[in-house]
Amino acid sequence: MRFKISLAQINPILGDIEKNLVKHIEFTEKAIVEGSEVVVFPELSLTGYTLRDLTYEVALKADSDFFKPLKEISKNIDIILGFVEKGEDKITYNSSMYLSNGEIKLVYRKMFPPTHGLFEEMRFFGKGNSYKSLVTDYGKVAVIICRDFFHPTLLSLAYLDNVDFVFAISNMPLRGTKGERPHIQDTVENTSNVYTNLFGFFIIYVNRVGFEDGLGFFGGSFIQGPTGKYIAKAELFNESLVTGEVNTEDIYRKRVSFPLLREEEKEVLLRNLEKLIGGDND
Amino acid sequence: MIDLNLNYELTKKFIVKFIEEEVKSNNFKHAVIGISGGIDSAVVTYLAVEALGSENVLGLLLPYRLSSKESLQDGLLVTESLGIKSETIDITHIADEYFKIAHIEDKIRIGNFLSRLRMNIIFDKSREFDAIVLGTSNKSEIMLGYTTWYGDMAAGIFPIGDLYKTQVFGLARYLSVPEKIINKKPSADLWPGQTDEGEIGALYSEIDEILYLYLDERFPKGEIIKLGFDKVKVESLLKRMFSTQFKRTFPPVCKISQRTFGHDFLYPHDIFK
Repeated sequence: MRFKISLAQINPILGDIEKNLVKHIEFTEKAIVEGSEVVVFPELSLTGYTLRDLTYEVALKADSDFFKPLKEISKNIDIILGFVEKGEDKITYNSSMYLSNGEIKLVYRKMFPPTHGLFEEMRFFGKGNSYKSLVTDYGKVAVIICRDFFHPTLLSLAYLDNVDFVFAISNMPLRGTKGERPHIQDTVENTSNVYTNLFGFFIIYVNRVGFEDGLGFFGGSFIQGPTGKYIAKAELFNESLVTGEVNTEDIYRKRVSFPLLREEEKEVLLRNLEKLIGGDND
Repeated sequence: MIDLNLNYELTKKFIVKFIEEEVKSNNFKHAVIGISGGIDSAVVTYLAVEALGSENVLGLLLPYRLSSKESLQDGLLVTESLGIKSETIDITHIADEYFKIAHIEDKIRIGNFLSRLRMNIIFDKSREFDAIVLGTSNKSEIMLGYTTWYGDMAAGIFPIGDLYKTQVFGLARYLSVPEKIINKKPSADLWPGQTDEGEIGALYSEIDEILYLYLDERFPKGEIIKLGFDKVKVESLLKRMFSTQFKRTFPPVCKISQRTFGHDFLYPHDIFK
């Protein structure tokens, strides 16, 4: 199956969900014109990143009427976005949402909100504890958020879950301008090279652009196929909508030539994991 | 020898975007810069012109009678080569009047006063020109606290605040800042013969390597000395850094209520983007 995915590499306005909603609609309409099945926005695309105390003011329940216009457009295209979720458990989460056919199909809560150095997410957000995937018309997908991407344990769950597409939505600030490209961009792509090769799925990485409080988000969004090929790449620093065509047969081809998943033993893994938890070395 | 060089093309592109966006998110269109004739303000002016356009940048030259004549000439070289509006205000009369009344001869007090006087004028002009003040401090001087508190450290944004002096030189070359400005000995020019390196007691090449190892690479002091750096210099630089921490942090506010700025009123700076 061949179809198109659009990467909406936007620069959200900090704390202004109304204006950001308009931006989501504009980019989604462009993606529809390009003939895409899916449009992907970055982490916290409805709110911006360095919210701090604004976090609580821009939080939305997943069933909020605010999402109505997006639900409506999702009858024409699947939409992945990031928002601050006001959980039914009265905890605020850094969450992603998958909308399709006029409905919210999945809400995933970031499992690894970084809290060290310049990151202070757990000062404002709760920590998700549930890996999730979703079966769509074009395959099984998981949506993970920013730091989640650097946790091979989480990506391993997607691999064992036989996922076809991992959407990694992100707000990564630039660090390091010694090399040809931002150092952090190399880190992301090197990581993605490993995952696509070993796990044999597509990675769709969407990072935002723009500056907030001196942090500059570098963009550089991409689609990488299971054979390692970069199908689409967005530029650095600028807002853009980039569309790439993927072929799900690439997953099959990859897994024929490198059939790692069929060698896995989930039961064995589980038993060994149980031995680790609370064991002498834990 | 540690290579502190950056990809200056990428660095420039990033800082230009930073200026462009942060000026906008602070609700300004224009910027004002105090131009000293030195390399830092020259680099910031070059970057600002690229980000905002020459018509939106105002350069202020604020010489004092003891400032080197070359400084004014080099400052004008920057404003003229970039075609920006500039104003020159000689601060001798205002400053000397106060020094006379207050009987001030201590050169540190004079230096700080001149720095804060310039800050005053720059901020006043920023109101006239409806402009944000671009800070010209670099990472080396900020981290060593080799600055005047509420003087040259007062600014709306710091475009080169995370670049070591060595990197400012590299960026200046990439930006084709006039050689004459690049080749001068760095100086605050607060009194004749003053140089940064003379006052700090180390060369920027050493300062930057030591700071880089300590800050960016997180090497402990002992490890840096083991690499062959002079123990006395390492210790004095680190002492300088921590003894001037107050210049880089918000002054402590006596916490009394449930919600207090400086403690738990945690809104982002760019809230009105």
